[in-house]
Amino acid sequence: MKTKFLSTVASSVVAAALASSTAAFAADYANPNKLKTATPIKHIVVIFNENRSFDHYFATYPNAANPAGEIPFVAKRHTPTAANLATAKLLTNNPNDTDTANGTGATNPFRLDRTQANTASQNHAYTPEQEAYDNGKMDLFPKFTGHGTAGGVGAFGTSGQVMGYFDGNTVTAMWNYAQNFAMNDNNYTDSFGPSTPGAIAVVSGQNNGAVNIVGTSTQTVNDTQGGLTLIGDTDPGYDSCSSTTSTVQMQGKNIGDLLNAAEIPWGGFMGGFDLTRTNLNGTTNCQRSTFSSVVGAGTADYIPHHAWFQYYKSTSNPTHARPSSLQAVGHTLERNGETLDPANHQYDLEDLYGAILAGNFPAVSYVKMSAYQDGHAGYSDPLDEQEGTVQLINFLQQQPDWDKTLVIITYDDSDGWYDHLYVKPTWASYDATADQVNGPGQCGTGVATQVQPNGLKGEPVNGRCGPGTRVPFVVISPFAKPNYISSKRITQSSVVRFIEDNWLDGKRIGGGSLDASSGLITDMLDFTQRPNDKLFLDPTAGTVVVSVPEGHHEGRHEDRH
Amino acid sequence: MNSRTLWLLGAGLLCMAGAVSAVETQGLNGANPHLVHLVRPRTAPLSAMAQLGRAIFYDASLSSSGALSCASCHSPDHHYGPPNDGPVMLGGPDLSRQGARAVPSLTYLERTPNFSIGPEQSDDDNIVPAAQMAALGQQTARAKKTATGTAASAANIVPQGGLFWDGRADTLQDQALFPLLDSREMDGGSAERVANKLRHAPYAERFTGLFGVGVLNDTRLLVAEAMFAVARYQFEDASFHPYTSKFDYWLEGKARLSESEMRGLQLFNDPDKANCGGCHLSSPTRDGLPPLFTDHQYEALGAPRNAALAQNRDPTFFDLGACGPQRKDIADQTQYCGMFVTPTLRNTATRHAFFHNGVFHSLQEVLDFYNFRDTNPEKVFPHAADGSVKKYDDLPAKYHANVDVSDSPFDRHPGETPAMTAQDEADIIAFLNTLTDGYRPEN
Repeated sequence: MKTKFLSTVASSVVAAALASSTAAFAADYANPNKLKTATPIKHIVVIFNENRSFDHYFATYPNAANPAGEIPFVAKRHTPTAANLATAKLLTNNPNDTDTANGTGATNPFRLDRTQANTASQNHAYTPEQEAYDNGKMDLFPKFTGHGTAGGVGAFGTSGQVMGYFDGNTVTAMWNYAQNFAMNDNNYTDSFGPSTPGAIAVVSGQNNGAVNIVGTSTQTVNDTQGGLTLIGDTDPGYDSCSSTTSTVQMQGKNIGDLLNAAEIPWGGFMGGFDLTRTNLNGTTNCQRSTFSSVVGAGTADYIPHHAWFQYYKSTSNPTHARPSSLQAVGHTLERNGETLDPANHQYDLEDLYGAILAGNFPAVSYVKMSAYQDGHAGYSDPLDEQEGTVQLINFLQQQPDWDKTLVIITYDDSDGWYDHLYVKPTWASYDATADQVNGPGQCGTGVATQVQPNGLKGEPVNGRCGPGTRVPFVVISPFAKPNYISSKRITQSSVVRFIEDNWLDGKRIGGGSLDASSGLITDMLDFTQRPNDKLFLDPTAGTVVVSVPEGHHEGRHEDRH
Repeated sequence: MNSRTLWLLGAGLLCMAGAVSAVETQGLNGANPHLVHLVRPRTAPLSAMAQLGRAIFYDASLSSSGALSCASCHSPDHHYGPPNDGPVMLGGPDLSRQGARAVPSLTYLERTPNFSIGPEQSDDDNIVPAAQMAALGQQTARAKKTATGTAASAANIVPQGGLFWDGRADTLQDQALFPLLDSREMDGGSAERVANKLRHAPYAERFTGLFGVGVLNDTRLLVAEAMFAVARYQFEDASFHPYTSKFDYWLEGKARLSESEMRGLQLFNDPDKANCGGCHLSSPTRDGLPPLFTDHQYEALGAPRNAALAQNRDPTFFDLGACGPQRKDIADQTQYCGMFVTPTLRNTATRHAFFHNGVFHSLQEVLDFYNFRDTNPEKVFPHAADGSVKKYDDLPAKYHANVDVSDSPFDRHPGETPAMTAQDEADIIAFLNTLTDGYRPEN
């Protein structure tokens, strides 16, 4: 691997900040900037948002409808073509319109306006998603995933809504990032299903090995090896905010375990995680909530079944204990080098901002916004998502370590939103009820010709039908190839693989994890190019701004107690 | 304002959880000593979507009579409520058919939660079905609804949310379609008939600009988008949620309440007096959202039957609200029969039709009902031929047990002292008049 380092941008501000950032490290805390890495990247931030398919956000990219009165989106010259609905000529005569099995929901794809950012959520469970795919015909979305919940009082909803897509007049920031940095149009979830399997995949590449802690989850399948594979949402066991009737834990390893073994600073950072904090509206503890003016309603900040690392005993913080200090964020031990830090690498999103401002920027950070900004249809929406995501990326670009940083925006699942690009299963599964993509009980070409991937115990298991749904994957970094679209197949576990390749000499999790076989994200990166300029966006409009917007802590209303 | 030596300061307690309660006296001339910064919805020029919605909102050609638009019954000059004194509006092809229920105001719906039994489940990945929640609700104790402790009752597992008197629409988009197609109202005929009118309307081009060329050919989508545009107009246009009542300005320190209005506020929030605030929440949220004067929960209050409604000439007909007949999906949850949603009290002083059946014509009648329903039912219910009082005559006997008799002032008994005196009622009405939009604060 290339290890060329870019010359640091000379600036007195940066120099001073670097000096203060080294001072922020205790004597034996590893400094991410000094760790040996395969690429020049010393900090990765994975912004793991919710529930959008690729075509749902990029169907007509880079061309927006630009109706009168809306901020027009103008594509850069030489924008490459994406594998989207426009290119595939599926905006009309779409099989989801012509297939009468869709009943009254049969419809062509249609544009969702910015005023329709608040919509219902679709049906995004493991089996209906496979059924919508209809053995590759991709024509039964309205029938199988088109049953949504209402969304806020001002929400848009219609049968066949699953065929709706946004364009650059709404997902403006996402399109601007794609224009100025890189994205992948061949990225999939590791397997079908909703949030929790996606969260597990992006940190471990293995959704086999679930055990019930409380009750019996209805979201697992018998893996045929005496164990369970998690194919749906269930809260993490022992977490203070979890359901009291059904929780699970995962028995395999995740990337956090590998990072701990190598003493590399890392953390999970989630909005609402700090239960001791009180929001402006007076809510606290697990009931912390925030009001969204787009949705017209509030929603709880912390959603337990999105909390990747809480599913693993070794990397969880079940009581949401606070870190001993901002300097300890990312580290297993307290500054004294002896006591375990109570937070065990799981923190509030505010702690990421706080730690970075204190000069302590972990090597690996997984980020989940407070729910109202996580992008999930129904209780969140693309505009709130944009606000949270842009604020964080604006903030990161202002930090002295930006020149060695990689930000990834990707998604846990598609919400069941229409996407046209079928891929034959790479990872088979043959559960009689749950698997349907290639026929009843069938994901793959059959046990004789395509065995399922291995579970934790090294034997083929059911419940890992994948790749699942195609979701956006955008990388923002000085090293991202500008205005580039990669078509190299990657999945959620490709994030795990990059971390392992960059920081851990390619060490793998094992136990049937897909990290070993997933694609590389490095096609989107060029470590020899002239580093990209920073790109600051307005968090509300998503448009490019020239001057640096106000810093995070002034802008976040939650902070004003 | 005349200066008086003794003014009620109970309003100062507004900044605590709950509402104005105990009576204190201090010389402040009717001002709110604990100012609140109210967060009103952002105003901006109407989007293209909302402008399209406005055109549709005022388009009477969508009705079979050609005379009714949304604005006819939701009159902008009457806070988007009914423009006349009738209990219900008249519609249909020749404007002679009675609507089934009194027309609700379209103001202050922008924060209405979806219909649910119990608090809304915010994350939808594993939803508990309504029937299951209803069953849970029957086993779980309900906190009493008191004006000084509204947080407790907010968690009650009871129906809440949704639009219309029975919550059968979750979104403004869904709501807009019902009157359009109802044969007693705009009588639009069918989705296809409405779609054809939209295709030939002067604003037809605006659909393709917003939704793409295919929309005009897709009847279902066209109608859905048109109703969404109407919803968007309501969502964006400040006139649907201006929060410009005297009470809003009083909260912000820009207005003073008269003695009578201040007493009325006290009584409104006194659990031992009117206790209105138990359901009609009067405090801003901690993050400054102005009070909506409803907790969106459902109640069966057993209001008298309205003989003025043609449908009530059939003695076997009963409008049961949440359990039917307009709403059909929870008909088997008979514990909800007779329950209707708690409406906002903003702008209520300008109405002439109160409750779902418009049986009351003035706030005086409404307050008399609350005051005398249990202590002197003969004053508010009709009498049978033999002189007996037909209490709860608009509810079949088997559902009388659904009526609220536990939340003050409904927990009283015949012969007991009513909760309010005549002066109390007058003061509360004075206070309710401060909830009307369009107040101009003196500077």
